[in-house]
Amino acid sequence: MPRDTGLPPGTLMMVVLRVLSRQPLHGYAIAQTIRQRSGDELSVEEGSLYPALQKLLIKGWVKGSWRESDSGRQVREYRITASGRRQLEDEMAEYRRMSSAIDLLLKEA
Amino acid sequence: MGIIGEWLRRLGFLLRRQAMEDDLRREMEAHRAMMADPRGFGNTLRLRDEARDAWGWRWLDNLAQDSRFAWRTLRRSPGFTLTAIITLAFGIGVNIGMLQVVNGLLLRPLYEGPEQILEVHTRSTKPDGGARGLSYANYLDLREGTKTVFADLAASSFLLVGVDAGDGPRRAIAFAVTANYFDVLGGRLALGRPFVQSEERPGADARLAIISHRLWQQRGADPTIIGRTVRINGDPFTVVGVAAEGFTGTGIPGPEVWLPLGADDRLSARDSHELAVVGRVRADVPVENVAPALATSARRLEQAFPDVNGGYTLTASPPSRLLFMPGSGSAITALLALLLMVMPAIVLLVACLNLADLLLARGHIRRQELAIRSSLGGGRWRITRQLLTEGMLLAFAGAAAGAVLSSWATDAVMASIRPVLPVALSLPALDIDWRVIAGTVGFSMAASLVFGAWPAWSLTSRAVVSDLKRHVGEEGRQPGGIRIGKALVVCQVALSLLLLTTGGLFLMSAMSAATADPGFALDGGVLAEVDPGLAGYDEARGRQLHLALVDRLRAVPGIEAASIGSSFPFNGFGDSRLVAPAGGADPQSRSVDAVFAVVGRDYARVLGLPLLTGRDFSDAEMLPGSAERVAIIDDALAQRLGFGTNAVGQLIQFVEDEASDAKQPLRVIGIVPTINHSLGNAHPFPHVYVPLGQRYESAMTLHIRTGKESERAMLGTVGRVIRDVDPRAPVLRITTWRDHLDTGIEVVMFRTGARVFSAFGVIALLLAVIGVYGVKSYVVSRRTREFGIRIATGAQPRALLWQVLREGSRTTIIGIGIGLLLALGAGQFLQGMLYGVRSVEPLVLAGAPLILFAASLLASFIPAVRATRVDPTVALRSE
Repeated sequence: MPRDTGLPPGTLMMVVLRVLSRQPLHGYAIAQTIRQRSGDELSVEEGSLYPALQKLLIKGWVKGSWRESDSGRQVREYRITASGRRQLEDEMAEYRRMSSAIDLLLKEA
Repeated sequence: MGIIGEWLRRLGFLLRRQAMEDDLRREMEAHRAMMADPRGFGNTLRLRDEARDAWGWRWLDNLAQDSRFAWRTLRRSPGFTLTAIITLAFGIGVNIGMLQVVNGLLLRPLYEGPEQILEVHTRSTKPDGGARGLSYANYLDLREGTKTVFADLAASSFLLVGVDAGDGPRRAIAFAVTANYFDVLGGRLALGRPFVQSEERPGADARLAIISHRLWQQRGADPTIIGRTVRINGDPFTVVGVAAEGFTGTGIPGPEVWLPLGADDRLSARDSHELAVVGRVRADVPVENVAPALATSARRLEQAFPDVNGGYTLTASPPSRLLFMPGSGSAITALLALLLMVMPAIVLLVACLNLADLLLARGHIRRQELAIRSSLGGGRWRITRQLLTEGMLLAFAGAAAGAVLSSWATDAVMASIRPVLPVALSLPALDIDWRVIAGTVGFSMAASLVFGAWPAWSLTSRAVVSDLKRHVGEEGRQPGGIRIGKALVVCQVALSLLLLTTGGLFLMSAMSAATADPGFALDGGVLAEVDPGLAGYDEARGRQLHLALVDRLRAVPGIEAASIGSSFPFNGFGDSRLVAPAGGADPQSRSVDAVFAVVGRDYARVLGLPLLTGRDFSDAEMLPGSAERVAIIDDALAQRLGFGTNAVGQLIQFVEDEASDAKQPLRVIGIVPTINHSLGNAHPFPHVYVPLGQRYESAMTLHIRTGKESERAMLGTVGRVIRDVDPRAPVLRITTWRDHLDTGIEVVMFRTGARVFSAFGVIALLLAVIGVYGVKSYVVSRRTREFGIRIATGAQPRALLWQVLREGSRTTIIGIGIGLLLALGAGQFLQGMLYGVRSVEPLVLAGAPLILFAASLLASFIPAVRATRVDPTVALRSE
């Protein structure tokens, strides 16, 4: 049952990296942060989030470590790595280029 | 680093997957617990699965799962599994076996860096000019002059010598080589040292030898062999080294011993062109640069020594791999090699058809299982992959069993060839190398694709619903599975018949070779091969020994007659000459090819041949320098030369004989009956005999007529007499005439061929039986309901039995019909390789189909009986 995450395809990893670039967060907090910061416009489902996190781990762009949360729960917290930051910059630059090109196109039309 | 790092992390996930999965599960639980509405969290199992996919090991999981499942399924039907593995083991086994032989003899590099090794030839610049070797002086100049293209040049000359490693002299191949020979070819030594520069120069008279690994092994792999002596042509040579195992120089067969170039005393003169030169091209020089550099060197050599080098240029090519082809016709050898490749391929094809049958039949039994799996959401590709995995598993098991089978087979083939080769030689070790492994895996994959994928696809193509409901209205028509199964059986029967008849033809050929009539009384004779040259005797001493031996043997009680000749029938190598009537123009056009033999007095008498007309050679003609050159010819030659009945007194001459006195005519003094000299000839070959005095051959065969009862007892006597006459006389072999024929290279080659090809035939027959059985079982099991109804309505079991057998026979007969056409074609193709067998051999063409038909009838008998035992109540309830 595909649910619309509201995120343009291919941008989920970038968004997660961007959120983590501010501070280390666990999975639930990542999903919450994305929703809040986008003014409830964007939501990310668990079904997309966790595969994305696994991929980020494999790519070496984030690292996970277990710690106790404020509420006393064991959570896995993800922290962005140096190569993850480089990747984020690359992806953001690319995204900006694309979106301004699309803006331009839409204005002209 | 990026990609490698990623792969390392992936591998880390795989190795610690339990911990990784735990992490996933725990963090998802935490996530769920934190949600306001935990029900919003999806199916945790599926989410975990999806997350795991990011690791990229899904395929491995699937493979492991499929393999486990396949293993369980196969174990549950051991009969099927065993049959399939045996079928494949034969199919793959014969292929690996042949691949190994072909690889060892034709493909495996014999020396290091094969692409950089070139052989340099001297070639005449005349349009139809031939090639020759190089002289040592030319070699030295060339080596200096081509340093820009060749890192180094080595040279060798080919010698046939008598090697005595303590067990009596044997004829063997020897190479006299330059000091750098092993270095240039990258040939290592197992023990000792290579030759050095000072031992290389002609006339150095260095009595040193490097022996082959095989010879060393034959002498018990003595680790202290260095410094010991072997006798070569009677002279002691000190062993300085042992070549590495499998090293044979540039070609096959390799020599038994390597000598320093200085040991070959022919080489000092600039016009003694005995050397084969090989060079290693410099690593930094493209191979194309070699030809112009050689041309330049050739011009310089031509200018410097116009008398010996005029009209010759130098060319280079990769060294030829086979030193020489045994036997006469290399076309036949090539054909045989082709056959040895094609026949196993057909066996493999039959095996694959068979497995397709088996899997198809088995698939039927599993249809419901597959239908249920498919209705539970198993995708078509998923199920096909499952069946494929099963096929692969079988293929690998079959390949493993086949590898074991093949090593026996190759050993058997090599063991049966080796003892009959006329000279001792070293063949490269036939070890399994990566090519053979690659070949095996390739065969397995191909086999699995052919017999795994296709039935799987066809099984899963049917609508699920109809399979669950199974059968309704199916009895009247033939479902696709049966039609395809029958087509497979037709192909299989046809191909099996082809292999069976080929095997039959070779078998008959071997039998008629073993019972071949030589044209003289074979029983009651002993022969002994002596070669004084191997002990270093010159012509005078050799002649003396030959005559002394014959004289002494004649005096032994129990010996009826004795003589000597340069050849004995059926030894595989015959010396032949073009003979023409003397005088007249263009003798070439009137010449006849005849077996040429130098013989002693009484030669015909020993063989039991009457002198038809004329006289035997005289004692005077046994010695050189007799007044007139004479010859005895057989009646076949007399006929072919057109002499009619008065051949005695005619003059004949040899055409194209290089001997200086060859142009002198010979007077025919006697006519003898024609004998058979070789099994390869359809008609008896004509013979011409000249007396001992007229020509000296060092290697001679003593012919001794003993009488039937005493021939075996005489073997020892003959050996003792020869030792009495001269203890140093090199005796190569003492045997009876009958044994000589039975163990001769020709009979053994026919016999080996018969063994190999009838083995193919028997394997094909076995496979055909399995195939027929598989399809028949399938057909019967599909029609269980029909048989049930018919039995319930009172059909006689006997009638059902006959019906099933009859239906099976139809398929077999069609297959046999096609197979017979193939067999007729093959018979034509094989004609040249067979002895005493017609291409259309009624015994084979009737016998093979009968055997096949009977076997397939037997194979369908069991399923037919099963059909009559169908319990109607069970059959009808089974829906």
